[in-house]
Parts: sequence; structure tokens; C-alpha cells
Amino acid sequence: MEFSIFVQLIVLGLVRGSMYALMGVGLSLIFGIMEIVNFAHGELFMIGCYIMYFVAAMLGLPFPVGILASGIGLLIVGVILEKGLISTLRKKAGREWLMDSFVLTIGLMVIFQNLALIIFGAVQRGIPNLVYGQMVIGDVVFIYDHMVILSFALLTVGLLWYFVKYTSMGKAIRATSQHSEAAQTLGIDVSRMYSIAFGIGAALAGIAGALLITLFPANPNAGMGPVLKSFVVVILGGLGNIKGAIAAGIFVGLLEAFAVFFLAGGWQNVIVFSIVIAVLVFKPAGLFAPAGERP
Amino acid sequence: MTLEVDNVTSGYVKEVSILRDVNVVAKEGALTGIIGPNGAGKSTLLKTIYGYLRPTQGDVLHHGKSIKGLKPDQMLGQGIAHLIQGHSVFPAMTVEENLELGGWIIKHDRTALDRALAEVYEHYPILKNKRRMVAGAMSGGEQRTLEIARLTMTQPRTILIDEPSVGLMPKLVDTVYEEIVKLKELGYTILIVDQKVHKAVDVADYIYVLRLGQNSHHGPKEEFVDTIEDIIKEWI
Repeated sequence: MEFSIFVQLIVLGLVRGSMYALMGVGLSLIFGIMEIVNFAHGELFMIGCYIMYFVAAMLGLPFPVGILASGIGLLIVGVILEKGLISTLRKKAGREWLMDSFVLTIGLMVIFQNLALIIFGAVQRGIPNLVYGQMVIGDVVFIYDHMVILSFALLTVGLLWYFVKYTSMGKAIRATSQHSEAAQTLGIDVSRMYSIAFGIGAALAGIAGALLITLFPANPNAGMGPVLKSFVVVILGGLGNIKGAIAAGIFVGLLEAFAVFFLAGGWQNVIVFSIVIAVLVFKPAGLFAPAGERP
Repeated sequence: MTLEVDNVTSGYVKEVSILRDVNVVAKEGALTGIIGPNGAGKSTLLKTIYGYLRPTQGDVLHHGKSIKGLKPDQMLGQGIAHLIQGHSVFPAMTVEENLELGGWIIKHDRTALDRALAEVYEHYPILKNKRRMVAGAMSGGEQRTLEIARLTMTQPRTILIDEPSVGLMPKLVDTVYEEIVKLKELGYTILIVDQKVHKAVDVADYIYVLRLGQNSHHGPKEEFVDTIEDIIKEWI
């Protein structure tokens, strides 16, 4: 294989992978702390697409404003959903919580999709590009849009990593996800941590939706493809494992880029889901779970 | 009188009271033990004091102030710490991060936090040596030490301890009780619940016996040394 093709595939893989990481990290953060699988994660992505479209295409503001608006908008939506519905249900449900949370988030998925259909119609609303043009170095093509996606995704994941790892709020969120009862006895308001974590997870989905608007135009079903990929990332990375989700996201992105090049289109899904099944059977804690340690 | 449970009736659902008219007083600087057969309501009592359950009758006072109706996460702010049953370290975080989280309620006062950290390291040199290690990688005994040390970060006045010997091998039980005695020597008021009656009676200054959710006997330890076997036989 020519070196330039190899580099090109790496670049394409990183672009895809950074997005998968962004979606997966949000889902994983939510699962890690609350132990709920957020089936409506794709619809949060979809809302992010619409906010981006509204800000960048309709208001004509610069695209970074759209990304920021999507992030903040979904943060608010996430906190409201958690405080209004999820925490209310958790208090009522007790031990049946897991099943109830499935029904709740699947219900949210259906409601959001149909609300979007009623309000915006079955029309795709896209933006052709965020930054027009491309640059060629050697034989490798760098599409500016891809570079924008990659850099914003890495920046967002980096900021999240810093937040979770080094700030006291981030540490409290990790503590709550590792042992919520102990966290509570130390004075940490765990229900507040749940709201913040869900809000941040939603914001990450929103930012992903905003960044990908050139590839996934805003439409009521825009989130269905990306959410499937984020479940893949979360399973490969280990449920609730943030570091694992980042690594798995990049891994899946690279794998797909190479699979698409060497095999016919469509095979990338066969390979990825075969790996998912193998991981579920042989290494259910995920490919990137440290031995003997909980996420 | 540090902690006072005053005529408390409490339970998990409204219709069923697990505790009925229970009175317990934990004196300042003393180690008060609560013993009783399975289902006597010992853990329910701790849950009620710590705000997981709200008493339907009676009151809980800490230094004369009612703490009834406060949530568990507000208790440390009132000077009451709680060592919960089973392992409670944050396993994927370092020893130092665990301790810092012990100082969560004083996190805005960096100097106080650093001072507390230095004091803990002085009392527990093992934790200083392993401060960069993830807590889950330490031995079971070291994890218990960390849990106990973490309670002292904000220098609470009273510490509630729930079944410290559950799930531990016998050798570790002794270590844990040594740590608990050390806490008492540091001046903390301690209220302890344990299935291992002899162990609890051994270290306690004052004993309460609960039976079927009610007070049965109570008195200074000396009164129990001779009668404890008879009391245990009664349970069987």
C-alpha cells in the first residue's frame, strides 16, 4: 500500500473515530454513574443537529456559535430531563429501576422523533460545509470540514477528560459512579451529580450532532445511525469506562476507514459487529477495562 | 450528651414500624455499642439517625440540635460521619483522591484540606506511602484503614459505624477494631453496631441491647461482662 493512502486512511479514521468517541463518552458517562442505558442518546444528537441548523443556517451566525449553542442547549435539556423525569422515576421505582429506565428512555426516543416530525417535518436540513475547501499535502487530502470536526471533537473530549480527572466536581462524579452510598456519606449531593452527569452526557451528544451536520443533515431520524455506533463504542470500551470509550471510538473509526478501503462498502459493519459479539462473549468488561479494576 | 435518640419510632414503610420508642444516648468521647439479635433493628437505627429513614415519632438530637429530616449528605456538615457496611473506598481512584473526597465539604478551604491531609498521613503512614496507588489495588485491611482515615478528614464530632466486621477475615477484624479504638483515643464519639457481640462489648464503654425493635437492656460495659452470655442465650 502506498504510504499516502495509509496516511489518508488514518486521517479519515481519526475523524470518524473522534466522533464515535464523543458520542460514546457521553453515553458511557451516563451509564457509569446512573446505570441507565440512554436509548434517547441519538435523539439528543438530533436536537443538536437542529440547534446547529437554526443558529448557523437560519440566523447565519458563525459555526462555532452553533456548536456552543448545541452544547449549552443540550446541557439544559439533559438537566431538565434528569430532574423532571429520570430522578422522579428512580425515587418511585426502587429495584425495578433498570427496566423502568429502559422504558423511559425508549419512550423519550419515540417522543422526540415524533415531535421533530410534527414541528420540522420529514425534511432534511443540512449545511453543505462549515469551512469550504481542502488542502493537499503530498498526496493526502485534508478536507477542512474534517479538520474542523476532528479538532472540535478532540478539544471537547480533552476538556471532558480534564474535568472528570482533575476538577473536584469531576472527582465527585467519579466517586458517585464508583460508590454512590459512600459518596453520599462524605457530603456529596449524589442526585445533583446525576443531573450534572446526565447534562454533560447530553451536551456531548449535542456537540456531536452540531459538528456532524454536514454529514448527517438535521432530520427526525438523524440520531439513529450515530446512536448505534455509540453503543458499539461503549460495549467495546467497557460500560461506564470513559477512557475505554475514547480508545474504542478511535479504534472503531480507524477499523472502519481501513475496512471500507480494502473490502466492499458495508463490510465495515460486519467486522465491527462481529467484534462486538466476540467482546460480549469473551470479554464482557470491554477491550479496554484495566484488569481487576472497576471503571 | 452528644447524640441522642429520643423515643424514636421508625420503619421502611408507613404502616410497619421496625423501631418502637427507642432511646439511645451516645456520650461525648465514649464508644457506645448497640448489640442485638438479627432483625433487632440495629441497622434501621443507624439508618434513622443518618437520615436514610425519617422517624415517624420522636427526635434525633446532635449536641442538642435536632437533625431529624436532614438528608444523609447533610450529616457530615453537622459533624456526624458514617462508616457504612462493606467496602466503601472508591476503588478506581487513588488513595489521595479518596482522602480529598473525604474533605468534600471543606473543599473550598484548600489550607484546611491540606492540613487535614497532612494529619491523616501522620496518623496513618501506610496511606502516605501508597497515596498514588488506586485504592482498589490495596489489601482489604488497608482499604478499611483508608475508609476509617477518610472519615476523619473533616474532624467530625461523632462517628457511626455499621457492622465493621462483616465480610472480613478474622485477622482483619482485629485490625479494624484497633483502628476504631484509636479513633476513640483521638476523642471521637463513636456509636457502633456489630453482629460480633463479643468484639463490640470488648471495646465499648456503654452498651445498648435492642430486641424486636425496642430497648431491652442498657448500661456501662462492666454490667455486661458477666451477663453477656446469658443475654446471647436468650436470643437463641
